Amino acid sequence: MFDSLTLAAIPPEDEALRPQVRALAQEAVASLPLEQRARTWMGHDAAFSRKLGAAGLLGLTLPTEYGGGGRGPFARFVVVEELLAAGAPVGAHWIADRQSAPLILNFGTEAQRQFYIPRICRGEALFCIGMSEPGAGSDLAAVRTRAERSTSGWRLSGQKIWTTGAQHADYMIALVRTSGGPEDRHAGLSQVIVDLKLPGITVRPIEDLAGDEHFNEVFFDGVELADDALIGAEGQGWSQVTAELAFERSGPERIYSSLVLLDGWLAHLRKAGRNDDATAALVGGYVARLAALRAMSLACTARLAAGESPVVEASLVKDLGTSFEQELPIAIADDLASHDNPVDPDLMRALTYITRVTPSFSLRGGTREILRGIIARGLGLR
Amino acid sequence: MSEFLEPFERMLTALFPPDRVRAIDGGGEWEHERTEIEQSGFLDAMVPEASGGAGLSLADTSDLWRAVGRNAAPLAIGEAMIERADLDDTGRALLLAAAISGAADRVLAMTVAYAGERSQFGKPIGRQQALQQQLAVMAEDCVAIRMAVELAAASDVPDPLRVGAAKSVASAAAPRVANTAHAVHGAIGISAEYDLQLYTRRLHEWRAALGSETRWNRDLGHALLASHAPVLDWTRSRLFGEA
Repeated sequence: MFDSLTLAAIPPEDEALRPQVRALAQEAVASLPLEQRARTWMGHDAAFSRKLGAAGLLGLTLPTEYGGGGRGPFARFVVVEELLAAGAPVGAHWIADRQSAPLILNFGTEAQRQFYIPRICRGEALFCIGMSEPGAGSDLAAVRTRAERSTSGWRLSGQKIWTTGAQHADYMIALVRTSGGPEDRHAGLSQVIVDLKLPGITVRPIEDLAGDEHFNEVFFDGVELADDALIGAEGQGWSQVTAELAFERSGPERIYSSLVLLDGWLAHLRKAGRNDDATAALVGGYVARLAALRAMSLACTARLAAGESPVVEASLVKDLGTSFEQELPIAIADDLASHDNPVDPDLMRALTYITRVTPSFSLRGGTREILRGIIARGLGLR
Repeated sequence: MSEFLEPFERMLTALFPPDRVRAIDGGGEWEHERTEIEQSGFLDAMVPEASGGAGLSLADTSDLWRAVGRNAAPLAIGEAMIERADLDDTGRALLLAAAISGAADRVLAMTVAYAGERSQFGKPIGRQQALQQQLAVMAEDCVAIRMAVELAAASDVPDPLRVGAAKSVASAAAPRVANTAHAVHGAIGISAEYDLQLYTRRLHEWRAALGSETRWNRDLGHALLASHAPVLDWTRSRLFGEA
C-alpha cells in the first residue's frame, strides 16, 4: 500500500548546492547558542532571508522567469535540510518559500505571479497563512471571516488567530468565506492575498509558553481589498488549501525540528565518554528511525517533483516525523536526568525550550488526529 | 522492480496456499515445492549472469524476499538465494527485514479489508474513528519498514549499518503491526483456522531472528558515537551512501 512512495536519490545537480548552503548556514549560526538554534524555523531573521535570496537559495522550485531557481523540490530539500540541521533562523521566508509562492504560481494570474514571486525569491516579501480562527481549528471549513464584493473589489471582515509570523509578514494568504455560511462547509470558500499594511487591520502577538511571540491574532475591520486580491477561482478555496497543505506537510522540517538538540546530546555523550551498550542502543534507535523518515521524506519529494500533490503520503511522513521529534526530547531528558555527568547549561536550555514547544509539532499544519483521518481515507476507510 | 517479481510471486501463491503453510509450520515436508522452486531457477536470482544466474541487484532481490513474507512462504527460499550468492549474515538480516515488510503489508491489507466488512453498531467497524486512527498508524509503520528496507537494499552488497537500520525499524514495528491487526480482528483473529495468525506469528519470529531492534541499535549507536560527525552527515554518508 502507498507503493507510489519509493526510494529516491537526490539528483547530483541539486546535491551540489549543499556546500554553499552549509557555509551560509554556519555563518548565520556561528554566534548563536544552542538554545537559539533549537528554534530553527520559528526563528526570525529577515536579513538572513534576504541573504539567502541574494545567493539564489530561495524560490528554488519556481521558474526563472519569476526570479526563481528553475530547479525542483529536491533542490529545496537540500537547502532546507542544511538550514534546519544547522538551526539557522529561517522563519522569515519560510512560509512564502514553502507554500505561498507555489500557491501563487499554481493558481494566480500572470499579473499576480509577476508582482509577488520575484520578491519572494529575493526574500523581500514575507507571507503568513490565515487559516485558523477562534471557531475554526481542525474544522477549517467553519471559517467565518468574510470577503464581500464591494464596488472596487472586496471588503474583508473577521478574525484569524494563531497566525505564525503575522507581526513580521508583508502579506497574508487568508482562507475566507465569499458566499454562503458555515453550514455550506467547503462550498463558498476562497483565498485572498491581504496586504497587511492596509487600514483596518490589527495584529496582536500572543506570547507562547516558551516566552516567545511567534503567533498572533489578526483582526479585519472592513478592510478594502482591490479586485485582484482574490487568488485562484472564487469558491475554490478548499481545494486550493488542500493542495497547499501537501506542500506544508511533506518537507523535512517535519523530521528535523529536534535535530539541533540531537547533535547537542551526542556532543554531550561523546564528551562524557558515554559509549556503553545501553546508551549506544538508545542513540541507535533514533538514528535508525531518522534514516527511515529521511527516506520517506525524499520519496515524498519525488512525488512533488513528478508534479503530484501527495496529500496522503505527506500526512504519513508528517505524523511519523512529528512522533519522532516529540519522543526524542523526552528520551534525552530521561537520559540526562538519570546520569551524573555535568550538563552544559546551554544544552539544558535548548532541551527545556524544545520540551515545552514539542506539543505544537503535532498541532501546526494539521493535528495528528486530522492527519490520521486523511490516511484512513487513503486506506479507503472513509 | 524486476520482471521476475510477478512470476515469482505467482509461483509462491500457487505453491503455498494457507493450508500448505499450516502443514509446513506443523513440521510437514515440502519436498515437492522445494523441487519446483529449484527447477524454476529463482534461487539463482543474485548469481551473476556470467555464472548462469539472473544477476539481480540487491534491491530487486529484496523485492522477491518481500514476496516471500507476503505469502508466508518458507524463509529457506531466501536463504538459498543468499547462499548461492555467497552472502553472509548481514544479507540474512536484510532478508528478514524484507520478509517482515512483506508480511506487515499483507497484515495491513487483511486488516483494512476486515474493518470494511465487519459490522458492529450498525456500521462497518472501519467507520469508527478510534479504529481508523490505529489503522493509519499501522500504515505508517508499514511504509516506514518498506522504506528502511529499500534504503538498505540500495547498496551493491549488504552493509552492516544500513541493514542494521532496516532490521531495527522492521523489528521495532513488527509487534505493533501484529497487535493492531489482532485488536481490529477481535476473536476471529485468535482462531487457528483464520489466516491472520500465520502472518502475525512470523512477524514476532522474524523480529527476533538474528537480533531484534536493540541489538542492531547498539551497533548503530556505537558507530555514531565513535564518529564525532554531526548526525545528519553521519546518516547521509553511512546510511544513505551519499558523498
